[in-house]
Amino acid sequence: MHLSWLDLRDFRSYEALAFEPSPGINVLVGPNGAGKTTVLEAVAYLSGLSSFRRTPDASLIRTGADGAVLRGGFQKEAGETRIEVELPAAGRRRVLVNGKRPGRLADVAAIAPVVAFLPDDLDLVKESAGIRRRYVDDLGSQLAPGYAAAVAEYEQTLRQRNALLRRDGPATDLMSLEVWDERLIAAAVALWNERVRLTLRLGPTLDAAHAAVAGPGELLAVVLSPAWGSDDERREDGEWNPERAARALRDALSARRRRELEQRTTTVGPHRDDIGLVLGRRDVRAQASQGEQRSVAVAMRVASYRLLRERHGHPPVLLLDDVFSELDLARTAAVVEMLPEGQVLVTTTREDEVPVGGRRWAVGDGKVE
Amino acid sequence: MYEPPVQRVIDELARLPGIGRKTAQRLAFHLLHVEAGDAVRLGQSIIDLRDQVRLCVRCFNVTAEEQCAICRDPRRDPTLVCVVERAQDIAVIERTQEFEGRYHVLGGSISPIEGIGPDQLRMKELVARVGNESITEVIAATNPTVEGDTTALYLARLLKPLGVTVSRLASGLPVGGDLDYADEITLGRALAGRREL
Ligand SMILES: [Zn+2]
Repeated sequence: MHLSWLDLRDFRSYEALAFEPSPGINVLVGPNGAGKTTVLEAVAYLSGLSSFRRTPDASLIRTGADGAVLRGGFQKEAGETRIEVELPAAGRRRVLVNGKRPGRLADVAAIAPVVAFLPDDLDLVKESAGIRRRYVDDLGSQLAPGYAAAVAEYEQTLRQRNALLRRDGPATDLMSLEVWDERLIAAAVALWNERVRLTLRLGPTLDAAHAAVAGPGELLAVVLSPAWGSDDERREDGEWNPERAARALRDALSARRRRELEQRTTTVGPHRDDIGLVLGRRDVRAQASQGEQRSVAVAMRVASYRLLRERHGHPPVLLLDDVFSELDLARTAAVVEMLPEGQVLVTTTREDEVPVGGRRWAVGDGKVE
Repeated sequence: MYEPPVQRVIDELARLPGIGRKTAQRLAFHLLHVEAGDAVRLGQSIIDLRDQVRLCVRCFNVTAEEQCAICRDPRRDPTLVCVVERAQDIAVIERTQEFEGRYHVLGGSISPIEGIGPDQLRMKELVARVGNESITEVIAATNPTVEGDTTALYLARLLKPLGVTVSRLASGLPVGGDLDYADEITLGRALAGRREL
């Protein structure tokens, strides 16, 4: 699969951009602030329907414009899939797939998967659990629509329960709250099912990717655990057990009832899960060196790439945003090793930094040529 | 801005759901050119809608009488009530020809984000019906959304202590959408395969 064309209107600094990348390697060269990353961001937005810089939609619209439009064609063996997004300054976002509104937005993330290596990927390892939850959930959503639906359903249930607590606080109607608890528990268990299943696949792939990046050595493992309790409570004889997990969450909710009514927010559930990375016996976030952390971060992106390639039968579009200046030779080699298979969009300020061939594009003055 | 009589129509049309400024303009100019009789009929039918249509005193379906045609029909099973969010959902379920009971229109679903709790819906009216009528089973046919599901759970909590069976449409409906996204066959199957909450 590859992106055959990209069309932007009033997206960030671009008033109008038409870009037709080659199916192989594309190197976008330009000074800082020229709009290279914005092109990659647009491609990732069409794929995952959100900004990889986590910018809110309203801030993606060019200053003074009444809305942004992103359109792109992804070429697959079976033909082209056209994804279009309209972001009006006022009103709701509109998403079209081949000219039609998709039945569920959750289905879109698995249509045209991309993997992006970003300059601040080290945050994946060093930051708090939220960023790893997002990494795991984004990957799961690209692998299967069911995963994305579980995420969307849990988030909506959580928003509703929090709205109830925020509005009424200690005066919250208990019957309403208990009903939201039941709904939350059902959505939580569904999301946990997906996360557990994904980590079982991600673990070995991540370890293999890490060995390719850093050389053979200690085992790298992914560990899911609730920040609010013990993972053992969700297991039976070491095996993940949905019934026990439901019971553990129900108990935690009732134990914290009074505190939640006062804090007016939900303090337990999958949105508070920790997703830890363990190298040998060390926690990567707290106990690994900066170099080891960098290898693990690269391995996480490589693992995404490999799982998506395996699941979809073709490589995802690879986006490399100014990463070669950050990586040493060995890690660069590991990234380059997977390049030739599919389409790649690389940005760089210095062309000589990019150790691969491919089509060169000059970025600047609102154009990509 | 257009001349006031034109602009007024555009403004009113643009307030309707799903109609933007451009569509409102197109419709207004269309109305300007249709035959006078057509325009008068449209205007009169909107006036009649508000004058002659009201809510059924029993189930809150729309009707021109005190009770709707379904509530008046002696062949409908009075022990079975299907709870829907909106009156237009009744037509969707009627099309399946699988349901022989009566209805109850809640007026929406529980959504704290929008400030809608049980008190903003016709829950008390439903409890009163359970007390006054010979209802034995309530089917929660709220939308297959987070809010619709939660409303169904709430109904179960509310009505079970009164000795009523509360059931939910079987899964298989497209999740996250409105009832009217489902075709008749799917919805018919969901009704037949309903499970107790
Ligand atoms: Zn009626």
